[in-house]
Amino acid sequence: MAATQIDQELDARGLLCPMPIVKTAKAMKELPAGAVLKLLATDRGSITDVPAWTGTTGNELLEWHEEDGTLVFLIRKAAD
Amino acid sequence: MPDQEKLVIMVTHGPDDPELATIPFAMAGAAVASDVDVVMGFQGDGCRLVQKGVAETVTAPDFAPLAGLLDSVREFGGKLLVCAPCVKSRGIEEELVEGAEVCAAARFVAEITSATSTLVY
Repeated sequence: MAATQIDQELDARGLLCPMPIVKTAKAMKELPAGAVLKLLATDRGSITDVPAWTGTTGNELLEWHEEDGTLVFLIRKAAD
Repeated sequence: MPDQEKLVIMVTHGPDDPELATIPFAMAGAAVASDVDVVMGFQGDGCRLVQKGVAETVTAPDFAPLAGLLDSVREFGGKLLVCAPCVKSRGIEEELVEGAEVCAAARFVAEITSATSTLVY
């Protein structure tokens, strides 16, 4: 399977609830529909926050995993 | 698309209770980030949180600092409504942060009855 193309990376490591989501929302506003944002976070609440946020906003959580204590989320921006 | 969601968040705890002062801002931050319209209403000691210079002094363990949350809520267009008698009795009418709007009970009622949901802290 081909690797997903990342259009922007957002480093939210060290930020606490709910700032990873707030920063993500801000970053997504600047991206075109279909673009993929890679979010890095360390707040464990993001594991439930990010899927809740994508569900509410209509954006798509493509995948998430953990790398050396950092949570990595790939989110595709929905069409307007 | 569903109708625009609107959340009213009433804040009654001030800087003496950093956790209960911060939680409504965290909820407001998550809501504005989720494209929900947010109106924060400050009553009682909650008014202190929108007095200039106070938000910067409030931090609850494991929550984002209150001042940054306040900035985010304003940046995303959240409204800040402050109880008129509460600020008058505290003598802080002229010391509120930019964007804070002093109003009376009927305005709170209008905001609450037109909201999807209301949270009271």
